[in-house]
Amino acid sequence: MNMQLIHPYEGLFNRLSGILGIIPTLPDRLSDEDIEGLARLLPAEMSKTLKAVLEPGMREASLAFFKAVGTWAEKAAHAKENGKKVVLMPFNFAPEIIYMFEKAVPIITEGITTLSTAALDKQGDKYWDFALSMGLPDTLCSASAIEIGSLLTGIDFQPDLILSAAPGSCDDNSKIHEFTANYLGLPQIMLEKPADTSRRAQELYLTYFKAMLREMEEFLGEELDEDRMREVIEKANRAHELYDELWEYRKMVPSPVPNIFNLYIYGTKYTVWGQNEGITVMQKLIDTCKRRVETGDYPAPKEIARTYWAYLFYYYDFMEFFNWLEKRGIAIVGDLPSTWFTKRIDTTSKESMTRDLASNSFDYFMTRQIGGSSVLLNWCDDIIWACRELSANALIYCGHHSCKQTWSVFSALRSEFMKRTKIPTLLLQGDMWIKRMTPMSSLHQQINEFINNVVARPRSSRK
Amino acid sequence: MEDIKTLAEEIQNQYVKKWRDEGGKVLGFSCVATPVEIIEAAGILPYRIKAMGSPEKELADAYMSRFNCAFCRSCLQLGLDGTYDFLDGLIETNGCDHLRGMFENWELVRKPDFFHYLRVPHFVRDDSLAAYEEELGLLRGAIAESFAVTIDDEALNAAIATSQDIMGMLRSMNGLRERGEPAVTGTEALAVVALSGSMPAEAFKALLEEFLKERSDAKVGEFRARLMLGGAATDELYFVEEIESLGGMVVADALCYGSRALWRLQDSGGGPLHQLAEGYLHNLTCPRMFKHYEQRRDFILETAKRAEVDGAVLIHNKFCDLHAVDNVALRADLESEGVPVLLLEKDYGAKADMGRIKTRVQAFLERIGR
Repeated sequence: MNMQLIHPYEGLFNRLSGILGIIPTLPDRLSDEDIEGLARLLPAEMSKTLKAVLEPGMREASLAFFKAVGTWAEKAAHAKENGKKVVLMPFNFAPEIIYMFEKAVPIITEGITTLSTAALDKQGDKYWDFALSMGLPDTLCSASAIEIGSLLTGIDFQPDLILSAAPGSCDDNSKIHEFTANYLGLPQIMLEKPADTSRRAQELYLTYFKAMLREMEEFLGEELDEDRMREVIEKANRAHELYDELWEYRKMVPSPVPNIFNLYIYGTKYTVWGQNEGITVMQKLIDTCKRRVETGDYPAPKEIARTYWAYLFYYYDFMEFFNWLEKRGIAIVGDLPSTWFTKRIDTTSKESMTRDLASNSFDYFMTRQIGGSSVLLNWCDDIIWACRELSANALIYCGHHSCKQTWSVFSALRSEFMKRTKIPTLLLQGDMWIKRMTPMSSLHQQINEFINNVVARPRSSRK
Repeated sequence: MEDIKTLAEEIQNQYVKKWRDEGGKVLGFSCVATPVEIIEAAGILPYRIKAMGSPEKELADAYMSRFNCAFCRSCLQLGLDGTYDFLDGLIETNGCDHLRGMFENWELVRKPDFFHYLRVPHFVRDDSLAAYEEELGLLRGAIAESFAVTIDDEALNAAIATSQDIMGMLRSMNGLRERGEPAVTGTEALAVVALSGSMPAEAFKALLEEFLKERSDAKVGEFRARLMLGGAATDELYFVEEIESLGGMVVADALCYGSRALWRLQDSGGGPLHQLAEGYLHNLTCPRMFKHYEQRRDFILETAKRAEVDGAVLIHNKFCDLHAVDNVALRADLESEGVPVLLLEKDYGAKADMGRIKTRVQAFLERIGR
């Protein structure tokens, strides 16, 4: 039955890696004419994405990012012929941990979905539909269910292992990955986050983390090599230093950091962290920001709002969405996945590296906030810190129906956040990866009203 | 039986009132992973928070969203509107994402005198068992300190014995349900189990003894099919009653507020906290557990076969993805073993939705030739 619905070449990852695989072959510099020519070869939606990301002000950084993820996709697509195993994992886990193993390469469920939403004609809708046709609920997270839907057809590119660190911080994510592993007969390794932030919880997490590494070693038939660990981690550390440098640019007013860079930051983190490509992309992002500071280049006459996004933003029209905001003077100074509480890893010994990796994993995006002692307080404290650091003057939550944990406390969070910061908050509702849920025009309208009437308008002039 | 059903549907029944009138303390919990024995051993009444199909949610909706399970919102509503003011404290568990939100909001708004977060691991492994045992020790310490009581091993062992007695009696009741000619309906059984979490153990034992005696030779009326009901938090007696009114006798269940946790304590050595940790974690037949699917599947299959059911109805409350996803896998496994399955999504406490539900059940009964 699956064969009648979807052919192998129509699998999500197969399609994505096919397209992304072309990008590394492009030159580092593309002219406007080159881009126009490329755009004509592509279906309308893909062409729109291409033009948006390759706008002159950020062309080099965008190319570096897409070349990096192209290399990442290529490595996974050809892993088996190179004697490596492909590890599929949700986004809240560090890929450098996989790169530490000689015989493994990581692919990220939500990364595939998000990139496909940007790069593929008709996006991921049919894979979502396939998942639902199996009886899976429409209240699942589309970020995972789109890629999982493709996997469940049984004819897309198949990973060798599913590794999930979501138990404890997201039921939806954990359950759908467990279901998929069972359904496809794939081995699975799961790492639990104790719902706690104490020292005791950190020690327990370290125990679980070490058990996870042992399971990986057993699965791959490869003992972690200290030198290789160090080599990968030093690259991750270098990229982390560049992240810190970029953070300083993100504090500037007006922001010299293009909105889309928030996505590039964690897109890089989730795919090529610990690889040379990760360092290259981060450096290119900084170069762009530096140039914008020097030239005073800003896409709007004035920065009228500095928005911090409490969780994620909308990806289904994301390339245009970012630019749409920017051209109205609405900066995205940060969002939760691009706000890190991780640290530089001590490479002194295997034990020190393992401890710090576990510590960073404990503090990974979503794991730290949603897997904390209190979803409300842990999340709220982190957002407040970030908003103050980045001088945000507006908070936006783009509620996805699937985020049961965040939805369950957002009302209280909004009250607490506004009481403590006096920063206005907008609650939106929509699916970030599926356009048919909430039209972009509706989101534009709500954001416009909020920014123009609440954020940008002086309090004294309001009636 | 009418008494038991009425008692089960009352949030604060006469036994709880009497307990409180005599100066007794009451601690509320929700998740079946909470060892009531520790609370009992402290001389405190453990009360399993329920909503019994209450449709009201307007106060809760100011805190949780409509993307959250209506069962949790109904319970929160009862917490916010004062219905649960007789509780002297709350024990939160990380049962699921919705439940965590329910407890966080409840604590934030009502600020109970005692609030403890019992963290239950999601895996059954040696390291997580040790962590859970440590958690139980923390719970024991917190209760002892806050209520100025001593919870020694002797008291714990006595509470464990009582609890095991009750579980054994409830299993006997299920034996009466599962007979070729059932002596207890599914509605009655659900009421009995619901009541077991909301009255003092000894008084409940006496009531249950009487009930079992009364029903030992009874027979329920005519019915069309023997059904098993499995799935998410379901304490709406009317829901089971309506299914049974169609001729689908619920002779077995694997419900969170039903028979899912009537386990036998195995002597695994160690002290009482170790035994409780082993017993609760091993028998947590809930999709919130990971890499434990086979245990859940086997439990449900065994139940279905033992009760010789004609079909199984697997339900989940809207937005409960843990059960919704698990039910898809269970359907495949049950059907491959020859047990027809109906998957049903319900909105908790929504009686207006029963027309649709009944149509689906009627169609299912026809599908299985009954």
